[in-house]
Amino acid sequence: MPDREQLQAEFVEEWRDNGYGCFSSGHKFCREVCPVMQVTRNENHTPTAFHANIVALEQGGLSIEDLAEDYIHCTMCGACELRCPNTLFTGDFYRHRTRTVDVVKAVRALLVQAGIEQPNWKRWVEATVDRKSEPVLDVPIEQERVAEWAAGLDLPVGGETILFCDCEAAFYRTSVPRATAMVLTAAGVEFGLMREQWCCGGPAAEMGYVDQARSFAEHNVADWRTVGARRIITLDPHDYITFTEDYPAYFGDDYDFEIVHITELVAELIADGRLALTVPVERTATYHDPCRLNKRKGIYESPRAILRAIPGLTFRDVDRVTQWSYCSGAGGGFAIERPDIAAEISRRRMARAAELDVDILISGCVWSERPLTARGEERDPAIEVRDLMELVAEAAGIDLGGVKG
Amino acid sequence: MNGFRLQAERPPEPQPVKDGVVMRLEHIYEVDPAAMTVFEQQDLPVWDTLRIVASRWDHLAWMHDHFADRVISAEELEEDGAT
Amino acid sequence: MTATALDDPVLEELRQILGGDHVLTSRTSRFNRTRVPAPFPVHRWSEYLPDVAVLPTSAEQIAEVVKLANRLRIPIVARAGGTGLADGAVPLRGGIVVDVKLMNRILDIDLVDRTVTVQPGINMLKLNEELKKHGVFYPDDPASYPCSLVGGRIGTSGWSLIGGRYGHTRDLVISMQLVLPTGDIIEVGDGGGRKIRKSSTGFQLKHLFMGHQGTLGICTEATLELVPRAEAEFAAFFGYPDFETAYRSTGALTKSGLATLAGVVLFDEQKVDYLRRDDEAYIPQPPELRSVIATAMYGTLDEVKPAARRLMRIARETGGDYLGDEVSQGDWASRHDRYATPLHGRLRDGTVVPMCWHCEDAAIVYSALPDVRREWHAIAERYIEGYGIFDDWGMFFYTNGPYKPWGDYLVEIDIGIWEQRLDDETWAAWVECKREIAEVSLRYGGSITACHGATRAGDVELVPLEMGGGFEVMKQIKRALDPNNIMNPGKYLLDQAYEDG
Repeated sequence: MPDREQLQAEFVEEWRDNGYGCFSSGHKFCREVCPVMQVTRNENHTPTAFHANIVALEQGGLSIEDLAEDYIHCTMCGACELRCPNTLFTGDFYRHRTRTVDVVKAVRALLVQAGIEQPNWKRWVEATVDRKSEPVLDVPIEQERVAEWAAGLDLPVGGETILFCDCEAAFYRTSVPRATAMVLTAAGVEFGLMREQWCCGGPAAEMGYVDQARSFAEHNVADWRTVGARRIITLDPHDYITFTEDYPAYFGDDYDFEIVHITELVAELIADGRLALTVPVERTATYHDPCRLNKRKGIYESPRAILRAIPGLTFRDVDRVTQWSYCSGAGGGFAIERPDIAAEISRRRMARAAELDVDILISGCVWSERPLTARGEERDPAIEVRDLMELVAEAAGIDLGGVKG
Repeated sequence: MNGFRLQAERPPEPQPVKDGVVMRLEHIYEVDPAAMTVFEQQDLPVWDTLRIVASRWDHLAWMHDHFADRVISAEELEEDGAT
Repeated sequence: MTATALDDPVLEELRQILGGDHVLTSRTSRFNRTRVPAPFPVHRWSEYLPDVAVLPTSAEQIAEVVKLANRLRIPIVARAGGTGLADGAVPLRGGIVVDVKLMNRILDIDLVDRTVTVQPGINMLKLNEELKKHGVFYPDDPASYPCSLVGGRIGTSGWSLIGGRYGHTRDLVISMQLVLPTGDIIEVGDGGGRKIRKSSTGFQLKHLFMGHQGTLGICTEATLELVPRAEAEFAAFFGYPDFETAYRSTGALTKSGLATLAGVVLFDEQKVDYLRRDDEAYIPQPPELRSVIATAMYGTLDEVKPAARRLMRIARETGGDYLGDEVSQGDWASRHDRYATPLHGRLRDGTVVPMCWHCEDAAIVYSALPDVRREWHAIAERYIEGYGIFDDWGMFFYTNGPYKPWGDYLVEIDIGIWEQRLDDETWAAWVECKREIAEVSLRYGGSITACHGATRAGDVELVPLEMGGGFEVMKQIKRALDPNNIMNPGKYLLDQAYEDG
């Protein structure tokens, strides 16, 4: 067990610039866009506090143990670090931006290293290590079943292009990967699956379990190389983040895969005429910008281009900047440790949709869909939650033939 | 279409613009790295710089719309006739 | 782990009042409710910690906490956003921080009598997002607009960037409910009636409870003015070859009599130099551009357009060079974010260092602006040379009066401070610098603070001088309302109110 004081000193050494960058700033524009803060109104949970604590650690006012509780309270949506003027107005000029997500991850990793663990995260990561996929609740998780969602689709193993299927999609909302795969096939895109897909490792990294995250990454990349993959398609924003941020950090210049997110690809297929959406979907809908697409990556146009191409759909949009303060609460392991607050976050997101008088909320993130579906069903009248790809399949006249989960 | 490729995300070398200011990506000013000796720069891939710049313009448009229905430009005043 | 000075029975009593979840004793709970964005002696952080933080959800809970504090003589410090710049929310004697952020509801929107009633923990930007759908707006627009809260705006008697058109916080708050330092709950307005704007019944109590920095009570509810959402916004920035020309142009613009003119901001030469460091609007400007004026107008389309034409003509005729639509609109929309961030900081050799900054906010009449400017820059120069950790970020001059852009100006000099290098010596030097700057304001018949408040070291020593006989009245009022000196004690030298007994 490493010495806590030494761990603390090393941590402060690495993160003090980030800490002071925020502490010296005093702008607190982060807090009103933070989905957790909107609910708890507890200054302990502000990005300001997350950074100020680093300074307090340096000054000797706090020690590692003091941090354990507060840093649970983050979905890593990225709103704060984007809205922060140190990013939004000077981040590009100085090549130095606010990185609250990285700070929270680093603190969580520090706590794990120091032997201070959150019980539900510990269990979650242990189960993921055991089963190679996340213990998406209530469903038996076994490596043997990770590709069961593709039953009857005759998808090959391997090839230049691999479709990576997120854990929640593979085991819970299987209509999402089925729709994605069938849409790609209908558009003539050739792709295969991994030989042995493991969890991308992103959630373990978010919860502070860096070694486990790394081991998943190494396995997956080795599998990609074995099957000759050059290009990976992600159908969930969480994986897109992991493969474009975490994996490059692990592997450096050796990492030469092309990572394509499904919405960018499908929007292009539609524009090129390779995918025809001809079956009207006579519904009134609004769109949930996934945090990890909109805020974290700046991907908001391709989902909207797709929605505008769906015939019969009445699309009531809420702009991408207003959605900086929206979240489903499902990210960053937060719902696993604080389900009650996460449920309130998703309830508020659904309430925003309800204000627009819609009957569907369409999301681009399968992780958001479980909590949002539950909240939608609690409303009267209920609001249905659909994944963007499910809707594309419907408009393309594709019968999924599978189970929603 | 081109997805994410790590090799394509490395920012170009800086070109001098004026005292203390350089440019790597078109129309995007940056600090001369020589001035960042006390406070280290981060590894910011091209996609991240572009995301920040695009988000800044988006935010400004949002802020205008938050305060008023329309923004009048001086150009529009001239087009209307008398100044 | 907690080491609070309050003993368990007190904490237990607080939990009875508020519920256990809303009584916070952890070290992070206390460390993060200590400072505000004003320069802070970070090396002495732990000396300013409160003993406990509470998150009330009602006026009644706050009243109970205040009564407990009176009984046991425990200090109370109210904290809304903690985004102020005068240390109003910084505990000087530990005690209980009453953090009102959970009280952030909109209680009533009255489109007929044109008011919105809110709790003090609500942020103006979030409020206006809700009001937008009703076609109305609450026009209190400080630089902290995206994060400051209504309770703090009242506690500081805030200033708004568009106050020249719409008024400032004290003009926009019609009435409020508050908990007095004794724990009594009262309502104050101009007179009586929560929605009455102008009355002559009794004393003008509403103004007493504006800007008291939490020393006279805690606001628990406020009824605010609703204005029609603006059809049109027009922003124009002008460049000038020197400060003097821009200063005269400022005078012409602010006396123009244009009712839709919401604000005029003069940037001096040092401010433009500072912005040339990293601002994409200023980097490409020619060296002949040395001073800038920003203007903004709001109103209906048929008011704003002709007014804007006249404004453009006045600026041009007084030497202003229009900087273009992109700079004008972009910079106006950036007004909350753009002008002060840590990496603007530079050492003399051009090295970038992250600085916190002090934002002076004196109120000075137009005729004295050039002299105040000269003296302040000279003071800044001495301290920069002497200590190596300060930086002159230049000056702004903003229209200060409510509903009128002429007369007095909020005069701001921003002093960057390399915070990581602060120690007792440099902190003392900083406080001295602050005092010298404030003294200049008084010499020119000004006020040492237009809107932040004067509760900090470097300012507070000058308060009796500025207030004159009014300081004695302040003391009497404080003693009358807060017999046990529990409400933000130590602020504003008000301990003096209790010295005779």
